[in-house]
Amino acid sequence: MQELAQIQTIYMVAVVILTAIGLYCIIAKKELLKIVIGIEILTSAVNLNIMVMGLTGSGVDALAQSMAVISMTIGACVAAVALALVVNVFRHYQTTDVRKLRRLRW
Amino acid sequence: MNAQMVIYPVIILLSSAAIMPPLNILEEKLKFKQLKLILTIFSLTLCLILLLTLHQQVSSEGHIEAFLYGFGLPFGVQIYVDEFSVYMAVIFCYLGLLVSIFSYRYMEVDTGLDKYYGLLLTLITGMVGVAFAGDLFNLYVFWELMCISSYSLVSFRKYRWEAVEAGFKYLVMSTIGSLVALYGISIIYGCFKTVNMREIAMQLTIAQTELNSSAILSLYFATGLIICGFAVTAALVPFHTWLPDAHPAAPASISAMLSGVVIKTGIYAMARVLFTVFTIVPLSTIVEVEIHPVPAVNYGFILLILGVLTITVANIMVLKQRDLKRFLAYSSIVNMGYIASGLGIAAHLLYHYSDQAYESAIIAASGAVLHILNHAVGKGLLFLSSGCIVHEAKTRDLTKVEGIGRKMPWTGVSSTIGLFHLAGVPPMAGFWSKLLIIWGGLSHPQDIFLLISTAIIIVNSIYAAGYYLWLVQRLMFSKTGSAAEKAHEAPPSMLIPIAVLALSCILLTILLPWLIPVVESSVLTLIGG
Repeated sequence: MQELAQIQTIYMVAVVILTAIGLYCIIAKKELLKIVIGIEILTSAVNLNIMVMGLTGSGVDALAQSMAVISMTIGACVAAVALALVVNVFRHYQTTDVRKLRRLRW
Repeated sequence: MNAQMVIYPVIILLSSAAIMPPLNILEEKLKFKQLKLILTIFSLTLCLILLLTLHQQVSSEGHIEAFLYGFGLPFGVQIYVDEFSVYMAVIFCYLGLLVSIFSYRYMEVDTGLDKYYGLLLTLITGMVGVAFAGDLFNLYVFWELMCISSYSLVSFRKYRWEAVEAGFKYLVMSTIGSLVALYGISIIYGCFKTVNMREIAMQLTIAQTELNSSAILSLYFATGLIICGFAVTAALVPFHTWLPDAHPAAPASISAMLSGVVIKTGIYAMARVLFTVFTIVPLSTIVEVEIHPVPAVNYGFILLILGVLTITVANIMVLKQRDLKRFLAYSSIVNMGYIASGLGIAAHLLYHYSDQAYESAIIAASGAVLHILNHAVGKGLLFLSSGCIVHEAKTRDLTKVEGIGRKMPWTGVSSTIGLFHLAGVPPMAGFWSKLLIIWGGLSHPQDIFLLISTAIIIVNSIYAAGYYLWLVQRLMFSKTGSAAEKAHEAPPSMLIPIAVLALSCILLTILLPWLIPVVESSVLTLIGG
């Protein structure tokens, strides 16, 4: 039981680090593709968290596994739409630099 | 309807969306272009009829629950339908039906309409699914179905830079929001080893006296994550910045859907998770006294602060706008603030005063739920009218479309009714929903925090009424602007949905005595009777 809690803590720290990397990537990077990569890292972090939460003495709970698989599928759909939008941005601006996308007001 | 049939609305909408691309090929063979529209209208009408019969059944016999494909707990996908979810689903399908009628002429200049109608149907499927979901992960899956459809629909006119840019901004913000909400859901799963909402509430009730500080801490953490995650789609300040860009960039029919129902789904998901999951029935030794469920976590405070902040900030921002659709977009944010603060007042009262404030909490939450309906109808009407105006005047600049109401009398009169409705001019239904929220807030004057927030809401509603009436004056009575000169009345198929919505605004006002009990029993199913 003690061991399980230790493993869980280690993985939770990994989730927090991955989340921080993903958010940093989305906020700080100036390249649209890198923002999409940031979203993917964030998705992986959340999926890992689901698996960690389902950790039991004899492996991972089946409910957690099924949730993580479906969540990965949804992440792939989001990535597909995001990349399609990046292609369209490139067609309009001939660049994928986010600093050129400043025509919207707030 | 038996229990397995409650999923039929979702199946009908999803299968119609799936046969949209083959139907497009058939249309080209037959040289008859309207099959897609007919299918969309047919499936939405069928769905609406099913939902209305379901509402009757649910209100007489109580909730219906079903596990799909025969799997029980903990693996089964649970569909749980009560009055509040049917109430929301009826609003979604009703507005979707009118928007698809409006799209017939409005979207005729665009190509790829099979994708448009398909995505519109999956958007409505996602929302109905969110309303019907019985467990948290099921809710998340339908939520993402809705979100992905709406990203694609916002950037549907991809030949315009504005649509692509706003679509990308919406995608990034909303995806982060959904993932944050999923993070919260996974923490709840870790605490209770199940994602079924009623199961979690039951476990909380059983464990209420033995909750240690670390369990309470993780509950608060999960609550915060879920509120922040769903608040992005619900457009609460400070998570609102995608909305004023996405609404003007989308086609008018889609902005009506977004503003009318998609952002309401955010509030619905938030309310459903908070009020159903984080609720405990307190232990009592006295048998005669009726016991009401109370929140396990003080989320009313967070909701109320977010709501009041949203109303104030958006009200300040709205006056800077010189673009008709941005103006309407900011006023949507204001109205989401009213709904959030109504729910916040209810939760705050339940948490701090439990039984003695139960009635006032019901009143405040009824105001919020009634305002969901009022704002969906009113803002749908205004965005569709703005679509007509943009269609005729070819510009969204407020100074150029001044006085266009006299050139387009039907659109002008309808949008005036909508603006009066949302401004809360006393006889209209929009007034009564705000009054119910404020009434709930004023029920415990000894609570200084509640009193101050309610005072801010009152000041803001009066201020908001001012700029709605200013917009009526600009659209109807000003000297005609440069773009308004050549405008003509919009085609009849665009006027029909607008007229129906304007009529609905008036009917809501007349039928209010019959509507209030329906809303009240929906609220009772939400916060538990």
